[in-house]
Amino acid sequence: MHDPPNVEVVANEDRALPAWRRLAATTRRLWGRIHWGKIALFIVSLFLFILALTLMKDGARGLAPLVRDSFRVTNPVNSLGFGWLFAYVVMSGSPVAAAALTFFDAGVINQLETFTMITGSRMGASFIVLFIGFIYVLRGRNRVTSLSMGLTSLTVTWTTYLAGLVVGVIILQTGMLDGVQLQTGAVLSSVVDRIFDPIAGFLASFLPGWALFIVGMGIILASFNLFDRCLPDMAIKESQVGRVSRLVYRPWVMFLLGAGVTTISMSVSVSLGILVPLSNRGFIRRENVIPYIMGANITTFVDTLLAAVLLDNPAAFTVVLTEMMSIAVVSLVILALFYQRFERNSLRLVAAITASNRNLAVFMVVLFVTPIILLLL
Amino acid sequence: MKILIATGGSSHSEKALRMGAELIRCVDETPVVLTVARRKQDQPLAEAALQRARFLLADVPCDIETRLRHGRPVEQIIAEAKEGSYGLIILGERQTHTLKARLLGSVALQVVERAACPVLLAKGEIRPIRRILLCDSGAVVPSLLSRFTAQLADTLLGEEHITVLHVMSQITAWPGVPDEDLQASAEELIEERTPEGEWLASGLEVLSHPGIHAVAKVRHGAVVDEILAESQENDYDLVVIGAHRDAGWQRVLLADIARELIKHLERPVLVVR
Repeated sequence: MHDPPNVEVVANEDRALPAWRRLAATTRRLWGRIHWGKIALFIVSLFLFILALTLMKDGARGLAPLVRDSFRVTNPVNSLGFGWLFAYVVMSGSPVAAAALTFFDAGVINQLETFTMITGSRMGASFIVLFIGFIYVLRGRNRVTSLSMGLTSLTVTWTTYLAGLVVGVIILQTGMLDGVQLQTGAVLSSVVDRIFDPIAGFLASFLPGWALFIVGMGIILASFNLFDRCLPDMAIKESQVGRVSRLVYRPWVMFLLGAGVTTISMSVSVSLGILVPLSNRGFIRRENVIPYIMGANITTFVDTLLAAVLLDNPAAFTVVLTEMMSIAVVSLVILALFYQRFERNSLRLVAAITASNRNLAVFMVVLFVTPIILLLL
Repeated sequence: MKILIATGGSSHSEKALRMGAELIRCVDETPVVLTVARRKQDQPLAEAALQRARFLLADVPCDIETRLRHGRPVEQIIAEAKEGSYGLIILGERQTHTLKARLLGSVALQVVERAACPVLLAKGEIRPIRRILLCDSGAVVPSLLSRFTAQLADTLLGEEHITVLHVMSQITAWPGVPDEDLQASAEELIEERTPEGEWLASGLEVLSHPGIHAVAKVRHGAVVDEILAESQENDYDLVVIGAHRDAGWQRVLLADIARELIKHLERPVLVVR
């Protein structure tokens, strides 16, 4: 009850101080708010991320026989299924996308196969929220409410990515984005090489190439895990952003919010998790979720783009940029021209899948069988 | 309460006049029928429209005043409503498919967006108002129900069936969030005293007058789709909705659900401010 007057007294005292002391006090306050532990975690996760990429890049060539002969990844359809299944195995899309880039860098797969493998990784990763919801259903929770978010996320992702495949193939074949490049520069490349090449060299001295890749994969998973922990505190209260659970926002507002939040979090599932504290009861309006996921699906490639830059491979950068552009084009066309119809049909599909256990079972079978068929084609 | 009925002489306008005839019976002040002539040469047509209006309203048990203004229909209707301090504007909606109408909206839609008072759009089949669907989000204070009863109590005969509808379009933002409320009926929400239940209960209390039969209803799904489905399934005579936000950040950021509903509802719609 006495807080407001105290705050005013402190503010008045602050105003009475000379400017340099006020500046010093403000700096001290800001300094005190810095989470040094999180910054340290971020540096460690970035270090591990670059180390993992270096190891995966060096080890990818050793996996060529496995990928091309054993898994028979010999065309873009196979690589789509491969990326999709790989994402199921590691329960994440970003490490698989990074792996696709290292395969490409090592010449194991071509540019189009890399593009479809990254697309597959996102399609597989969109299964994670549904999988968590499915576990709740098995524990006895309501089927419809537990699976709604996962199915909505999956439906929106699949639809936009499948359409994005067509747009992306056209962009890649016409080479319209080849000129757009962002490279590390000689100095940064040299620094990265000096730090990480000796570590990779040391590990390569006693590990075979394929094992180097596996170690890199483990490290990249650990780095993403650490990165999630060093995200800024996103526990924004509902009142601070408007009643996001009660009001229906314009689609483009939620689209930009989803894109913005995911630029920081780099993960669609983390971005969706951030929605929970945004509402008192952990609810979010269906109408708000769909464009939010559409926005998140574009900027979730920020880490893959960083990986392409760190690999210093212009063609890999083009693949990731194409991925982002194609999803952005598809999403913007939907938002501008037939968003209401898209929203209605997505929600109808979700309702149809959760209408009965039989429908859900059929859908789950489709989820697992489709990437296997794609891999075998 | 003073009522302004806008007519252009078309079949859509006749719906407005028929709707007006239903409501005029309930109010004391002299209603005004307005027509707008865009150009000087349109004056004979405008006068014919007023003549037709007098004929259609011949049976109402009160005097009718007619007015003719010149200029653009939207501007003139808004100006008349402002100058005359009307409590309700009634007009029909003509479905136009021109690019201008698609971008700016029909005359009716533009009047809804700019009027300071409630607007009743006469569309679909016009019948005596017995069954009313009142769609309240509960997110705006004062509630739609309070605004409706405060502004338009005069138009009620006191023997209507009113359904207070709330659409829960929410899903859980993450699996595992307690989700019991998301499938609950209005009765369950009221019993559980959830936020939705609390204001549905207070809404029913506001409507607790002899003769008025009020029920609360909750539907689950996308807001626009569920309101359209409810209005079709239960054959209401009038659908009452809130207007889009007038100003501030919410006007820019929030979806214009009122516009969507007006576009798709095939029955009379009352837009309350």
